[in-house]
Amino acid sequence: MRLRVFLLVSCLILGHLVLRTALGFGKAAPDLFIVALLVGSRTLGVGAGAGLGFVLGVLEDTFSMRAFGANALAMTLVGALGAKSRDFFVGDSTGFLVTFLLLGTWARDLLAWVVTDASIRPAFQDHLVIEAPLLALYTTVVGLAARSLFLRRRSRR
Amino acid sequence: MGGHTKRDRRTGRTDLLVVSGFVVASLIAINLPAGPQRAVGHFIRQTALSPFISVNALLTRTQARARDFDTLRAQMDTTMALVAAQRTLAEENRQLRGVLSLRDRAPSRLVPATVIRSGTSGSGSVFHLDAGSIDGVRPFNAVITETGLLGQVQEVFPDYSLAYDWSHPDFRVSAMTPDGRDHGLVEAARGAFREQDRLILGGTAYLSDLEPGTELLTSGRGGAFPRGIPIGRIAGVAETSAGWSKSYFVDPVVYPGAVTHAVADVGVAGEMLAALADSTTAPSGDGSR
Repeated sequence: MRLRVFLLVSCLILGHLVLRTALGFGKAAPDLFIVALLVGSRTLGVGAGAGLGFVLGVLEDTFSMRAFGANALAMTLVGALGAKSRDFFVGDSTGFLVTFLLLGTWARDLLAWVVTDASIRPAFQDHLVIEAPLLALYTTVVGLAARSLFLRRRSRR
Repeated sequence: MGGHTKRDRRTGRTDLLVVSGFVVASLIAINLPAGPQRAVGHFIRQTALSPFISVNALLTRTQARARDFDTLRAQMDTTMALVAAQRTLAEENRQLRGVLSLRDRAPSRLVPATVIRSGTSGSGSVFHLDAGSIDGVRPFNAVITETGLLGQVQEVFPDYSLAYDWSHPDFRVSAMTPDGRDHGLVEAARGAFREQDRLILGGTAYLSDLEPGTELLTSGRGGAFPRGIPIGRIAGVAETSAGWSKSYFVDPVVYPGAVTHAVADVGVAGEMLAALADSTTAPSGDGSR
């Protein structure tokens, strides 16, 4: 992982914990864990991407009483697939990044929903058709902004 | 070229093994019994997340302290008026209990705590209280605000505890109307969005006719919640079940997102129980029962 990407991923993880856990903004703050995972996984190997996803997922699950491990599994798979995507898609065009961040975020929500106990998960259409795409869009916009701020110089070279 | 392919294959196999390891670890985490899951969560909260939770607690406390002085003054005036109005009632009640040879009601101890929301996904109905077993908090204690019932303590650690509010799918409380005529079980009813979550009163008699606006209190049945805590007000009929029962939508009196401070009703403390036992076994011959 390049130093700039490492710094970006670290800042995103710290930012997520500060905004969501320390300042208590909840869903009003963007999900920077998934942005960190998706951005980081593009520069990591498949195993390391899965490892990063597992660690972030376990942190996310800490306060979950009935769905412990759901985010860990979802983010492990997303991290591994994100890293694997380098074999199929080369380059970082804006169009690709938008699709990658949108699909990655939504896939995480879908996987977490699938493994969560049916008695406590929200309705499929409300959560995955309405809420999750909107949150994924929000996350994508923030992810693109963060990436362009941190990794601007390299893309111009 | 051939060397490259061989190395790629070896890397690919190692990656597959590592990914499988993490997937298996995640599946183990999902299927762990509640005890080990609690222990892992507690360890992470006390280590990696501890500084962030501490900052959240500090901010919540500061926010609560900075509440509008006029609001606090108005609340204190209301409380004073209530206490003044009920002072004579308490005396009358004591006299009547004496006449009927009834034992005094068990005293209740309240532990004040700051309500901290983690903001992580999957923790929507769960909150953190900065009071734990050292303060006397125990699992299943009721969590109450000045307006009514907020939720119930679930996991207790020495210096903090985790509780869920009424919007959690596992939340249940026995309820009654203030006159004690209608009883039922209140549980969470998920709305299309979290902001539309509300409560539903089920198991009431088919002939019961609760008007919108009727207050609901905890009935104390089952012993999990003390009797008489406000839960909400009837909003309207939700469902009628072919001549058997009726259920009603209930507007809660407490909105969990707005709560920064609450008290845990820890019931009767050990020393209080001992004192009560002494008073009931004392040779006063008052015929308590």
